[in-house]
Amino acid sequence: MENKIIEKQNMAPFVDNLINAEAEVIGPKRKDGKYAFDKLIETGELCLDYDTTLLPPKMYLFPPKETLIKFELGKEPKVEPVAEAKPLILFGVHPYDIKAIELLDVAFSTTNPDINYLSKREKAVIIGVDCLNPNPNAFCPSLGTATAETGFDLMLTDIGDSYVVAIGSSKGEQLLTKYAETREASQAELAQRNSERQKALARYKVTLNISPEELPQLLGKSWDSPWWKEKSEKCLSCGSCIVVCPTCFCFDVQDDIALNLKEGERYRQWDGCMLADFAAVAGEGNFRGDKESRFRHRMYRKGKYIWERYEKLGCVGCGRCASACLAEIASPAETFNKLKEESK
Amino acid sequence: MKAKLGFFDFTGCEGCQLEVLNFETELVELLNHVDIVNFREAKTEREDNYEIAFVEGSITRESEIPRLKKIRQQAKIVVALGACACLGGVNCLKNFRPMEENLRIVYGDAARYYDTIPARPISSIVPVDYYVPGCPIDKKEFLKVTKALLLGKRPEIPNYPVCVECKLAGNVCTFDKGETCLGPVTRAGCNAICISNGRHCWGCRGPVDDPNTNSEKEILQKHGLTVEDILNQFRIFNGYLEVSK
Repeated sequence: MENKIIEKQNMAPFVDNLINAEAEVIGPKRKDGKYAFDKLIETGELCLDYDTTLLPPKMYLFPPKETLIKFELGKEPKVEPVAEAKPLILFGVHPYDIKAIELLDVAFSTTNPDINYLSKREKAVIIGVDCLNPNPNAFCPSLGTATAETGFDLMLTDIGDSYVVAIGSSKGEQLLTKYAETREASQAELAQRNSERQKALARYKVTLNISPEELPQLLGKSWDSPWWKEKSEKCLSCGSCIVVCPTCFCFDVQDDIALNLKEGERYRQWDGCMLADFAAVAGEGNFRGDKESRFRHRMYRKGKYIWERYEKLGCVGCGRCASACLAEIASPAETFNKLKEESK
Repeated sequence: MKAKLGFFDFTGCEGCQLEVLNFETELVELLNHVDIVNFREAKTEREDNYEIAFVEGSITRESEIPRLKKIRQQAKIVVALGACACLGGVNCLKNFRPMEENLRIVYGDAARYYDTIPARPISSIVPVDYYVPGCPIDKKEFLKVTKALLLGKRPEIPNYPVCVECKLAGNVCTFDKGETCLGPVTRAGCNAICISNGRHCWGCRGPVDDPNTNSEKEILQKHGLTVEDILNQFRIFNGYLEVSK
């Protein structure tokens, strides 16, 4: 992979050029003491040294609410598919979120290709940045998601006075050539990048005491663990964990009709297995009507089911769920470690 | 044939009916599909041949009970409109004081001319088919429920807590700002309007179907509220519920 250097003083002009020239640029900005991805109006808003964001950048590829079709009722109903997409630059995406997008790429393209996701994805450029100040609940090193080798067009690493830029695609290279002042990276600077990444690994506070490859098997034999009931007692079924998750991709589909009771649209919106009605069906049935089975199901998705279906873990260790959970039960690391301990 | 609607008010501020009138453009379009035959807040002429009754307000006097029962008898569908009708609402604050004392505080020397009973939601008197919760109701949700009824569909209102919409609104959690909130047990559908505007959730939409109020109480305590503070929070809109007692 080719690497370049952008001096820090040249970063602002690069971002400004992108804002003015290419596409909508989305990046992490400050929000009430935290960080959130949002449209950048000017470079000054961009915070590349953030820990994590409230919501994951997947929301720009798989929006919380999205129209799928427009229809008109009548003797001969009219139906028109909708798949809106515009050029987008996601700037400052952390490696774990890049890994999560790689999972979404697979999930939304296998068996039944999802044109709404794929058309947005095709027009999106991902400019990553290494996470050097991890969120206290993150455990990326245990899952191999602290750094990324693929899934980006460009990847930045802050090495002090400058950024090393790894070029991940020709699209990324073109942007760099067109809009940034760069120079070749020296061996010393590449060594510095490694050293910064190593130092960052030491800043993670949560560790998984089991290798990710062993998780499906561990979960497989933990179905009857008392942990599920014990821990889920406090669950508020508030959905905070699934809403902030970068890998969750479940959605609900509903129709909305205009006041003329003729024209309408079918839309999808994020849904998730921790919400009480997620598995509710006609006739008042609910396949997972209690907190315990929902809590277990989510952990199985994160560590077993997704792996079995896509050969990728359903959790990237970002720690957002643990930070968002008022009941303090949502961290997959805590559950996996506990089950590991029980299995001894 | 157009469906015939009626709007009825019991004890409340009439703010939810005013919200309906505030819909202006939508209301005109809605009139292509419905006849509003009874709406004291908006029109003088009244007929009692309504099929769908929207009922606002809580029940706080004996005399309201037969009137509500009569509406139930006439209407095929009864929809509770707003926090007072759905939950009892703020009127239930008086339930924690002797009724005589309430009368004396409000009416002074004239107290003997009035009667009052503990406030309650309309569902404690008659079966209610659907709910449009909130203080006041949300315009979009009212229209959504009404459209569903006109199409013969079951109206869907969220059965998940406000946290979902609050997170989607991009808000920093109220608890992370050192404050407290009833969002984790309160039914969504308001798009977390209070939190998005710098306040916290007061629970005006009532709880979700199966709220984990024990966990919520523990969390509130952990964030500095006393048992009394917690009860006071719940009692603002949810005084009729067991959780507030």
